[in-house]
Amino acid sequence: MSTLDLLRNEATTRFLARNAIFAVLLLVFCLAVAISDAFLQPLYIFNVVRQVAPVGIAAIGVTFVMILGGVDLSVGAVISLTSVFCAVQMGGDADNTAFALLAACAIGAAIGTVNGIAAAFTRVSPFILTLGTGIAVLGLTQIYSGGTARGIVAPGFREFFNFRIGGIVPVLALALAALTAVGLLIQHKTIFGRQLFLVGSNRRAANLSGLPTARVTVLAYALSGLFGAFAGIALLARSGVSNTLSGQGLEFQVLAAVVLGGTTFEGGRGGIAGTIAGVLVLVIAFNLVNISGLPYAMQLVVMGTIIILASAVYGQISARSG
Amino acid sequence: MNHGHTPLLSVSALSKRYPGVVALNGVDLTADAGEVHALVGANGAGKSTLMNLLSGAQSPSGGEIRIAGQSMQFAGPSAAQEQGIATVYQEFSLVPQLSVSRNIYLGREPKGALGLIDGRALRTQTIALLERFGLKLDPDAEVSTLSVAEQQLVEIARALSFEGRILILDEPTAVLSLAEQENLFAIIRQLRRDGMLILYVSHYLKEVLAIADQVTVLRDGEKIATRLTKGLTVDALVETMTGASGAFDKAAAPRTMRDEPPYLVSYQADTGTSTLTLAAGEIVGVAGLVGSGRTTFAKALTGNPLPTAIADIRRAGESFRFASPRAAMREGFVYITEDRKRDGIFTELDIVANATASALNRLGRGPLRDVRREKAAASDMLTRLRLVASSLGAPIGKLSGGNQQKVLIGRALLTEPRVLVCDEPTRGIDVGAKAEIHEILRDLAASGVAILVVSSETEELLALAHRIVVMHERCFVAEMPVEEADDMRILLAASGGAEVMEKNNGN
Repeated sequence: MSTLDLLRNEATTRFLARNAIFAVLLLVFCLAVAISDAFLQPLYIFNVVRQVAPVGIAAIGVTFVMILGGVDLSVGAVISLTSVFCAVQMGGDADNTAFALLAACAIGAAIGTVNGIAAAFTRVSPFILTLGTGIAVLGLTQIYSGGTARGIVAPGFREFFNFRIGGIVPVLALALAALTAVGLLIQHKTIFGRQLFLVGSNRRAANLSGLPTARVTVLAYALSGLFGAFAGIALLARSGVSNTLSGQGLEFQVLAAVVLGGTTFEGGRGGIAGTIAGVLVLVIAFNLVNISGLPYAMQLVVMGTIIILASAVYGQISARSG
Repeated sequence: MNHGHTPLLSVSALSKRYPGVVALNGVDLTADAGEVHALVGANGAGKSTLMNLLSGAQSPSGGEIRIAGQSMQFAGPSAAQEQGIATVYQEFSLVPQLSVSRNIYLGREPKGALGLIDGRALRTQTIALLERFGLKLDPDAEVSTLSVAEQQLVEIARALSFEGRILILDEPTAVLSLAEQENLFAIIRQLRRDGMLILYVSHYLKEVLAIADQVTVLRDGEKIATRLTKGLTVDALVETMTGASGAFDKAAAPRTMRDEPPYLVSYQADTGTSTLTLAAGEIVGVAGLVGSGRTTFAKALTGNPLPTAIADIRRAGESFRFASPRAAMREGFVYITEDRKRDGIFTELDIVANATASALNRLGRGPLRDVRREKAAASDMLTRLRLVASSLGAPIGKLSGGNQQKVLIGRALLTEPRVLVCDEPTRGIDVGAKAEIHEILRDLAASGVAILVVSSETEELLALAHRIVVMHERCFVAEMPVEEADDMRILLAASGGAEVMEKNNGN
């Protein structure tokens, strides 16, 4: 084999490794169809997508941070806070909707910015940092809401997001698709998107190459906070009920999806497309667990196993091709 | 080779084949105790393969290795160590957080009660080892606090702790200053007196001639010759290695004088302030021993100042003091790192991403990228730098050192620099690529870029620079046009003897 062939072979391996998640998605989907033909019905499929919209939206934001080599564990708390905040501000009045949504987004972005500034200018590990902000935000949510479910969503809000276009496609599913498109656009078409990968791949080299590493870091975390707020709004729209703990634990689903999608904790690789595929694999797996009559708790076991397996597999791949 | 005497190491018809590639083909080699035996050859000649076979890192496809007459087959590096072959690789494998003594005996620490490490015994054992071989190291120092040269001594100490008979050194001086190199040579000579066989793999032919007794030349996986170094010249060696003559292209491009006023750099270090001028079209070489502060200066100049290393730059009424590489780049000051792997390349990203990293804003429109333009710019630049790669989509980590360096130069050039600061631009790069990189730098200077080259290789500075400045204890202590520079003068100044010399000369 000549060197060129070797290189070509490696390129193939890399291509396969990079796109493995899509094959997995196809596989899981076929498995699902084999088990239940509900997975062939558009209504059911879009319901599944609607169901997973909050996690999917949050995962887009967290993907940015993880490409950078960071992580955002505070996203679950951000979802809870923005969701409760939104319901309280709406107070059952449609006139308040616009303000409530904008303010919720501002809060999400602000929390993300705080994370980003701390991540850029201190040496605290992002795990500890965002775990800390997550706990603090959880506390703030409790203080703000008085510890109970409060707030009433504005009339029309829930109906709008759950309206099924053509009787099939819920607006919430479209929102996920639209935000995915925005995420892909940011990743591929903006300078920031490219810089994310560069900083994530080698922060020291990025800095020496004149990249605005601090700015990129802050922006990535701010986006994660903002998408967290979008997710909070989506969650509120899906359930229609504000609950102070509604987002709790979602960060783990988000992380599972991102890691499954090929964005590793080391940074510098992965992307939104993989993440969304990861989200879909996860939700299909959950539904399969449900359909097979296993308890909800089993979902958690599946999820934990997936995080470990995916990390192990990607670790193997990068050890071989890195 | 005495007749009737069994040499310590004897290799016969040793081969290593990979699918489609013959890395080593029927190599014979004998070397004896009390000998320093060098292995030289261009990149890809088979030096590393031979070394890996001897150290047990790979197993041969054919042929035989005999040690003291006994045929050996190594299951792995530890098997080779047990048979008395220890290797010090170019890249260290130390645990930075552990002490020198822990690193030397890692995994073989003396155990006390409860199976815990017996710190006192470990220390005593380490001190005994260090004293025996005259290695000046503090057994308790944490490895991360040591200089590269000291870390290398730790590696050597570890290799020696196996009580081996054969020590393989892979490019041992690549990371050393002249003084440290002398120290290493003294250690090697002592080991030779003690009856060890030292296999010395190196690119640096002058050193090879200085330290080795015999030298074996490999080319394209085959052994070309084994010669006594006595009476051998670098030119003759290069001729054997390449089958043609000519080491460095000696002729530096004639300096193009420009009307632009030069940059005046005032460098404040803890030891004082000294100055330097940089003019468009000129290549300035910075010489000095490791630890003289060359890299710290180069970084301070390009936006990585330390409280004890600040560069003020003035030109025609303007003055700058860069607080970040980004700020420096905006004024055209660009740094190319000496440590490609750690500070230079984005390993898993492709060539285009690596080449355009610094120029994304320049190539894009506002916050948006122009992917097509990025590709075209990278491709043009790399053609200009004569980079041959199977595809621009290949991750840079897969390229050779020389090609990685070309990509880094490309990255710098896409920012259209006015002052290019190259720190060890050809470290770890094979002879052919080295000459190409020199050519590139000459062309750049000719096109009006001011170039500062920091190099530990005096030969490189003499071949490349128009003017050489010498650093000693973080100050510029001497400056000379290349025509007046030579090894001796540079070494003297770098060792702190410059002032005396200049006084004697009456300047």
